[in-house]
Amino acid sequence: MEEIVYVNTEGKRIDGRKLDELRPIKIIPSVLSRAEGSAYIEWGQNKALVGVFGPREAIPQHIQDPTKAIVNYVYRMATFSVPDRKSPKPGRREIEISKVSGEALAKAIFVERFPNTTIDIYVHIFDSNAGTRCAALTAASVALADAGIPMRDLVSACAVGRAAGHIMLDPCKEEEDASDAVDMPLAIMPRTKEVVLLQMDGIISKEEWKKAFELGLKGCQQVYGIQKKALKRKYEEIAEEEAKAIEHVDKQLKEISENPELLRGGNK
Amino acid sequence: MEGKLVIPGELVTEKRMRLGPHVFVENGKIYSDTVGLAKIDRGIARVVPLQGKYMPKAGDVVIGIVVSEEYSYYIIDINSFYYSFVPKEEIRIPLRKGTIVSAKIVKVDEINAATLSDIRVFRGGEVLTISPVKVPRVIGKNASMLNLLKRGTGCSLMVGMNGRIWAKGGNIELLKKALAKIERESHLSNLTLRIQKMLEKEKQHTRR
Repeated sequence: MEEIVYVNTEGKRIDGRKLDELRPIKIIPSVLSRAEGSAYIEWGQNKALVGVFGPREAIPQHIQDPTKAIVNYVYRMATFSVPDRKSPKPGRREIEISKVSGEALAKAIFVERFPNTTIDIYVHIFDSNAGTRCAALTAASVALADAGIPMRDLVSACAVGRAAGHIMLDPCKEEEDASDAVDMPLAIMPRTKEVVLLQMDGIISKEEWKKAFELGLKGCQQVYGIQKKALKRKYEEIAEEEAKAIEHVDKQLKEISENPELLRGGNK
Repeated sequence: MEGKLVIPGELVTEKRMRLGPHVFVENGKIYSDTVGLAKIDRGIARVVPLQGKYMPKAGDVVIGIVVSEEYSYYIIDINSFYYSFVPKEEIRIPLRKGTIVSAKIVKVDEINAATLSDIRVFRGGEVLTISPVKVPRVIGKNASMLNLLKRGTGCSLMVGMNGRIWAKGGNIELLKKALAKIERESHLSNLTLRIQKMLEKEKQHTRR
């Protein structure tokens, strides 16, 4: 069998990235009209859509918590999102991801302000290539901000891993399947650097773990920058459009004042 | 834009200050808890939100819709977390399902359920909805925007703090257009002026 070269002599990986480079990320907030907040994310090949509903009254009543809101995070993968068809039945993996991601977001939301309610977050993965839980969590926190739900901070996530002895940021599928692979999804609240999600597969030494964790924090800060830009862009675009419209009117007025004949129009 | 555009967890100010809505303190610094415009005036740090749900507050006047009638009370939807209940003793006029009413919130309890009073019934007209956080812009300073809308469209208007607007008569289509513009551009300054221009332009169109 031919051996895969995970990092070549130039320090580039299989898909041409450097060791500390993320895949290209694109986030668009407010894409669904029925949801109170929503976001679409493209993280390399990963594509996910998030809808946020609530806070709304929790039903049935016995699940209500009179001290805080329940964060109901639902992570699902489409049947066509993986190479072989995935059963549409939520499996063990999906239920686990839903639980840990929901708990991560509950740390950031001011849940105590909304007693007896649920905040529903529905995440659907349409295309996947490693790191979907991080992509989904990143998009979900943008969607929550888009819904106007009060939060202490956004949640930014990214994975770190190891393949063929190299610690690398945001591993892709091939790197995750390496013989000595380690995969560590990490989510933080970027302002305080508080860790809200940390999982790990594989065996790693203490020194390597420290290195990987530092690299992960750096990656999360990069992701935060992208989230911030995505949230602000919507309003800045409208401002720019309006500024242009005003400029256009001013220009016309100026032309008319300089050249009053224009008003008479074609009566020459 | 008036004020700085901030996102949740972004710094509003490092100084000690009185707290307005949508800010919180951590380690002596003031941060925003939502996407909005950060403003500091008269020693108060606050964030004007650009999205969000209606949180009932005592003293607010809201527009409700009667959901159903029970033996001794009515159930009224005020676009909040729960329906509100109004005993029949308080209202002399019989209400029916779908009746539009305005009400004053007298009390909000610890689970954000509202107690209503001063029920007024509206006959006819229709209810338009906007985002509740944009209601202050629809009213404007000293009700300037509201008066402008009333004059420009000829509608009778009643704005509820819960993001519902009751409108009757006049040019409702134009009103809808104006409200959409307010919602879209609520974060920009000189909004009243721009709405005025828009309404005047529409008037000229109809005259032709």
